Amino acid sequence: MTKAQWSPALKRYQARFWPTMIVYALVLWGAIHLLQTGHPAGLTKYALAVAPAVPTLAVIAILGRYLVEETDEFRRMLTVQSMLWGLAFILAVTTVWGFLEGMADAPHIPMFYVFPAFCAGMGLSQPFLAWRYR
Amino acid sequence: MNNRLKVLRAERSWSQADLAQRLDVSRQSVNAIETGKYDPSLPLAFRIARLFEMPIEAIFQDEP
Repeated sequence: MTKAQWSPALKRYQARFWPTMIVYALVLWGAIHLLQTGHPAGLTKYALAVAPAVPTLAVIAILGRYLVEETDEFRRMLTVQSMLWGLAFILAVTTVWGFLEGMADAPHIPMFYVFPAFCAGMGLSQPFLAWRYR
Repeated sequence: MNNRLKVLRAERSWSQADLAQRLDVSRQSVNAIETGKYDPSLPLAFRIARLFEMPIEAIFQDEP
């Protein structure tokens, strides 16, 4: 799909998503910097640690907003299908890795990788869905 | 579900993009419906029927 073929809802999604990702990068960098240099404690430490999660939660809301605003039902169905592929992907990976961690001493993977992995699963499904509905 | 969308569109010399514009959907939607890979919702089926001024069952058939 070319940029000219984007629906108004998809344009709004893109206009919301990319600035939020920039905010995420800045907040993540700032939080790491302050935690390493300021050595905060107590509530400040918790607030700094959770700060990068806020833009991530916003991206989840932006994705949901796109589903609500997309008036083209076929495109909405494609997005829902890619979300289901992403969900299946992350459920499979975390289940397998959980057993590997628990029983085979595989290295621990932090939970904040779950959402990017979900997005990766969504992305990986795109060529398959494009082929299926070509 | 089978449909006569491609024939009806061809009778009017409309491209998929023309029909998509008239229905306010993407060209991919029209293609997916025409090829039987996607069955439209009832509201979209009614919009298609109104556009071609035909009853829904004259465009969509649930039997081969």
